[in-house]
Amino acid sequence: RPTPRPDVTPLSPGTHLLFAQSGKIEHIPLDGQSMKKSEAKTLLHLPDKVVIAVAYDCVEKMVYWTDITGPSISKASIQGGEPITIIRTDLESPEGIAIDHLGRTMFWTDSMRDHIEVASLDGSQRRVLFDTDLVNPRPIIADPAHGHLYWADWNRDAPKIETSYMDGTNRRALVTDNLGLPNGLTYDPQTSLLCWADAGTRKVECMNPSRSDRRKVMEGIQYPFAVAAYGRNLYYTDWRRDAVIAVDRAVGRETEEYLPQKRSRLYGITTAYAQCPSGQNYCTVN
Amino acid sequence: NALTGSSGDCRPCPCPERTACAQVPGTGEVVCTNCPHGRRGTRCEICDDGFHGDPSGQSGAARPCRPCDCSGNVDPNAVGVCDHLTGRCLKCLHHTDGDRCQHCQRSYYGNALDTNADKCKSCSCDPRGTAGPLEDCHPATGQCLCLGHVTGRDCSRCAIGYFNLSPGQGCERCNCNPTGSSS
Repeated sequence: RPTPRPDVTPLSPGTHLLFAQSGKIEHIPLDGQSMKKSEAKTLLHLPDKVVIAVAYDCVEKMVYWTDITGPSISKASIQGGEPITIIRTDLESPEGIAIDHLGRTMFWTDSMRDHIEVASLDGSQRRVLFDTDLVNPRPIIADPAHGHLYWADWNRDAPKIETSYMDGTNRRALVTDNLGLPNGLTYDPQTSLLCWADAGTRKVECMNPSRSDRRKVMEGIQYPFAVAAYGRNLYYTDWRRDAVIAVDRAVGRETEEYLPQKRSRLYGITTAYAQCPSGQNYCTVN
Repeated sequence: NALTGSSGDCRPCPCPERTACAQVPGTGEVVCTNCPHGRRGTRCEICDDGFHGDPSGQSGAARPCRPCDCSGNVDPNAVGVCDHLTGRCLKCLHHTDGDRCQHCQRSYYGNALDTNADKCKSCSCDPRGTAGPLEDCHPATGQCLCLGHVTGRDCSRCAIGYFNLSPGQGCERCNCNPTGSSS
């Protein structure tokens, strides 16, 4: 029985969640804080790929993703259109990607080469930002307004969350205690909160990176892989539940769950903002 | 396309186990959207991340998608741990190696299938007493290849009746006078 489901749909205006399930990138429109689950659809079918990380460029309205089968890094317009592969060489296991929408660059982690790299959004001007003290780097997040980069490494012997400026200077560890497998990391520009989802401690925690006021949002969660922030909610993908789960950050409680039709692992998740978060490029200020 | 109104408009999805499909607008390509567990691909012909096999027999006999078998030597938190077709393990840990992470890496010895953490130990052959490359030892026992009259797993001791282990030379005979020696 064929399913008359129009797929590869352009996104409607408004804010959406984008998340990866192997072979596709799905989207869920957000209505305020709640997920419009009945309107969830496949944004992109990539049947021969295993998509791990997703990121969104709010300027050109493009989704970027890493694929570990190529391995490769590609992008496509959320209004529809063919995927464009931008990086296809010297990759082994790209598992995290971040977009600096102001500086027009992207950053990614590679957990086999143990690198963090940077390139322009067309793949040019590629260079290695870090190649030391990395074991299993996975999530990476940019805060373009302040010129900060954040990433986590789930190294079982010494997990950590690190930060640096976006040019690679001023690298330092932000969190090293009481971490397990920090698979997911997100930054909310509105509240300046850095939050992470940890599959080892089974907690979601947040802190203001400049204040080191770490606090627990939720505990006893199952197996988070990635997390995204929007408003007062955090949305994480979970490997045990094969679901996207919404958590109210303020009260530390699960509010909603989305179960895709296909029951398989969900990977990266990101917020596709209707408009770019306000903020000046730190480079134009300096 | 059900809009033309003839009996052949709707055709069954070309997907295994009567799972759903969708038609990509523009290209008209039909893709399976809800492949059975452990499978992906346009026609569910590829095994999912964490699985291996060849469910539709694209390169030989059909083999169902099974979970990666890496002898417990890969991290459950890792992605892409085995080749989706051959099942060859790509992220062996604890100094293990092989298609199933089933033996120790070169220059390590032990039993990769043990459950303890230091299942594969470094050969660490003693440079003074080893003949040949220092990173070569017996994969199971760890015995390094020793110079003449040198003994010990790592070739770090002289055999009985020999002394003065010197690099590249091995050990010298003791040359004790039989009259005054107790053994």
